[in-house]
Amino acid sequence: MPAPLNTPAALNPLTTLAAAVAGAAITTAVSSWAVSLAVALACAALAVRSGVAGRLAPAAAVILAPFWLSLLVMHGLFFPEGRTVLADWGAARVTAEGLRFALDMGARTAAYVMVFLLFSFTVRVPDLVAVMSARRVPPQFGYVLASTLTLAPAISGKLARIRRAQESRGLVLGGGPLRRLAAVRLQMVPLVLSLIEDAGERAQALDARGFNGSRARTSYRDVPDTAAQRAFRAVALLLAAAAVALRLSGQWPQLQGPQLQGFAMLWPLGVPA
Amino acid sequence: MSQPSRTLPAPGQAAVRNRRLLEILGAVSIAATFIFLVLTQPADITNGLAGGSTLVALGGFLLGAILLIVGVLPTLPTSTLVLIPVALVLNIALGQIMGSTGLPFYFDAIGTVLIAVLAGPAAGAATGALSSVVWSFINPTVLPFAAGAALIGFLAGLAARYGLFRRFYLAPVAGFVTGILAGVVSAPIAAFVFGGTSGVGTGAIVSAFRAMGDTLLAAITKQALISDPMDKAIVFAVVAMLAYALPRRTTLQFAFVRRFNVLAGKKQDAPDA
Repeated sequence: MPAPLNTPAALNPLTTLAAAVAGAAITTAVSSWAVSLAVALACAALAVRSGVAGRLAPAAAVILAPFWLSLLVMHGLFFPEGRTVLADWGAARVTAEGLRFALDMGARTAAYVMVFLLFSFTVRVPDLVAVMSARRVPPQFGYVLASTLTLAPAISGKLARIRRAQESRGLVLGGGPLRRLAAVRLQMVPLVLSLIEDAGERAQALDARGFNGSRARTSYRDVPDTAAQRAFRAVALLLAAAAVALRLSGQWPQLQGPQLQGFAMLWPLGVPA
Repeated sequence: MSQPSRTLPAPGQAAVRNRRLLEILGAVSIAATFIFLVLTQPADITNGLAGGSTLVALGGFLLGAILLIVGVLPTLPTSTLVLIPVALVLNIALGQIMGSTGLPFYFDAIGTVLIAVLAGPAAGAATGALSSVVWSFINPTVLPFAAGAALIGFLAGLAARYGLFRRFYLAPVAGFVTGILAGVVSAPIAAFVFGGTSGVGTGAIVSAFRAMGDTLLAAITKQALISDPMDKAIVFAVVAMLAYALPRRTTLQFAFVRRFNVLAGKKQDAPDA
C-alpha cells in the first residue's frame, strides 16, 4: 500500500500499531457484539477523519461482504445447536441462536478487519521499517515488507507488457479451457522467469552493500516519538494484557445489567448475554 | 551468488544456536496451540463467542509464526531473500483472483511452494508465515492463518528435499498429503476466530456438513479435508511445471537445488556442489 500523504505525521508507527493490537485484543477478550460494532464504527470515524475512508471502505467491503453473506447462510439456515426455531424448511432451520452466533462472529470480525485496515492504510511503510530496524527487528523483515508492497504495482505493469508482447506474437486470449490454460502458461513462465532474474540482480546489489551484515545500522530516517506516545503505548498494551489475562482466567465479569444500558438503548434487539 | 561474504564477519556460534532455538520454539508454540485447541474446546464454540479459545488460537499461532520468521530470516542467503517478495506477490495476486471466483479453492501458496522447492523447508516456512503477515496489510483476515501457511512451506520443502519433485506424478501426491495436514491445522482458526470460512464456495460445503448435524469445528475440518488436499495437489503440480519451465541455469543457482538434486535431469557438476 502506498502511504497516504495526509495522515497525522506526528504519530509514531509503533503507537498506531500498539493501538491496533490492543484494540483487537480487547475487543476479542470482551466478546460482545455491541462492543465489536462500536469499535468498528469508531474505526470508520477515524478513517474519515484521517482521509483514508475512500480507500478503506472498498477494501473492507470486499473482505466483509462475502464473509457476512457466508456466515448468514451458514449459521442462519443451518445451526443444529439452535433451540428457538423461527422458520423451518426441512433441512434448513432459521434459529435465533444461529442468527445470534452469525451476528457475534460477523461483528467481531468486522472490528478486527477495520482496526487493522485502519492501521495499514494510515501507516507510512518507510517509517515503520525504519522504526523496526532501530528496534533490532531483523532488517530482512523490513526489506520483505517494503519490497512486497512496492513490487505489486510493478508486477502488474510487467504482466501487461508480457501480454502485449505475446499478443504481438500471435497469442489469443479467450477460447476453450485448454486454450486459456496455454495462454496462462505463456504469460506466467516469462513473468516468473523475469522476476527471478531481477531478484538475482537485486541480490548482488544488496550483497555489495553489506545487507547481510549483523552489525547495528544507522538510519537516515528520523521518526519522531514523544514521551506521551511512549506512555500511551505502555498503557494500551498493559490494558490489552489485562483483558486477555482476565478472559483466559475465566474471571471475566458478566456483561449484564447497568454497564450496557447505553448499548441496550442503541440496539433495540437486546443486550448480549 | 549465495556464497558467504568475504568482507563481513560471519555470525558466531551463539547467534546460530539462538536462531535454531527460536525456530524450535516457534514450531513448539504452533504444535502446543493446536493440541490445546483440539483437546479442550471442540464442542462449546457455538454456545457463545468462546473468547478464551479465540485468544489462545490467535496468540499461540501468531507467536509461533513470528518466532519462525525471526529465527529463519537472518539465516537466508540474499539470493533467497530477494525472491521472497516475488513469491508473496504471486501468493497474494493468485489468492485474490481465486477468492473472487467462488470456487472452494485458495491457490494462495504457489509462491511459498516455489521458494520451498528452490530454497528448502526453513525458507519455505518463513515465506509462508511472512506471506500471511504482509498480506494482512491488505486483508487482515489472513493473519491468523500464518501457522498453517508456514506448515505448507515447510512440508513442500521436505518434499523437495526427499526428491518428490523429481517425478512429475509425485508432486501432486506430496501436495495432497500437505493439504491434509495444513487443512487440519487451519480448521480450528476458521472455527474459533471467524466462526466460519470467508469464501462462498467453502461456506456452502461447511453448511452442508452443518445441515447433517456436525459441530462447527467438525464441519470446517471436513470442508478443509475436501478443499485443501485438492488445492495443494494442484498448487504443487503448477509449481513443478514452473520449476521445470525455468532454465536450469536459474534453478541451479540455489544451493538447496544443487545439494539435494531436487529437480530431475542430469546432475550438474557445479564446482561448489
